[in-house]
Amino acid sequence: MSDVGKVRLRVPASIKAGDVIRVRCLVIHPMERIERDKAGKIIDKKYQYIDTVTVTYLGRTVATFDTTQSVSENPFFAFAVKATDPGKLTVAFHDTHGQKYEGSADIAFS
Amino acid sequence: MADSGVTRRTALGVLTAVAGGAFVLRGTAPAAAAEPPLGQNEPLDAALKRVFGGRPMKDGSGMIKLDIPLIAENGAVVPVSVEVNAPMTPQSYVKHIYVVADKNRIPIVTRVALTPASGQAYMGANIRLGETTDVRAIVEQSDGTLFALKREVKVTVGGCGG
Repeated sequence: MSDVGKVRLRVPASIKAGDVIRVRCLVIHPMERIERDKAGKIIDKKYQYIDTVTVTYLGRTVATFDTTQSVSENPFFAFAVKATDPGKLTVAFHDTHGQKYEGSADIAFS
Repeated sequence: MADSGVTRRTALGVLTAVAGGAFVLRGTAPAAAAEPPLGQNEPLDAALKRVFGGRPMKDGSGMIKLDIPLIAENGAVVPVSVEVNAPMTPQSYVKHIYVVADKNRIPIVTRVALTPASGQAYMGANIRLGETTDVRAIVEQSDGTLFALKREVKVTVGGCGG
């Protein structure tokens, strides 16, 4: 699983100033599910899954996802951003083991 | 609006924002999804009560568009998207979108905090569904009004494990 933490971010190919764009992002992550022993009791351990996703555009937080283990493995998220100025859009994923995965895209007008 | 610079003015702005409830930043309410290390195996009612405190929910069928397959063959990956037909201005905007799967062991799947900078209240994600269940989209507006919409999804193979 050397791919863990790989982030892919997709923005529309052509953006005009003032457009509301939809951005899709994907991260390779196991999103561990709750495990149970034979008696059906939950095994108590620190499960590794992403619990926060932060979207930053032009240095400002635009959206925050708080997620639980009910989100799929290799989670995919989509959101909208109003493209006001050219600049950097960053998506940061934080998991319960303190890992941080980041991906970014440049918003440029055509 | 509190900017992320560190001039004295913005520092003051941040202070004001904190005093005023900091709703532009991450939600300060002790919402369920913010503290998942507990494992959170709770029934739906308890989760809703903890997050929304029994506030009434209006029918959101006119404004919420919940896009999810009617039949999900694989419960491990179910694409869902929520679009809200509401203005996104600093005066009135969609503050949170919750996705709730009624019969999941962790019913609150995700909570999305939005800001007016989003331009449009929209979110999409891939979620897990343990069994055939109702999936709800709950929208919280900046003034605290709640709107809900639910749809049943038939799940052929459950995807939650444990």
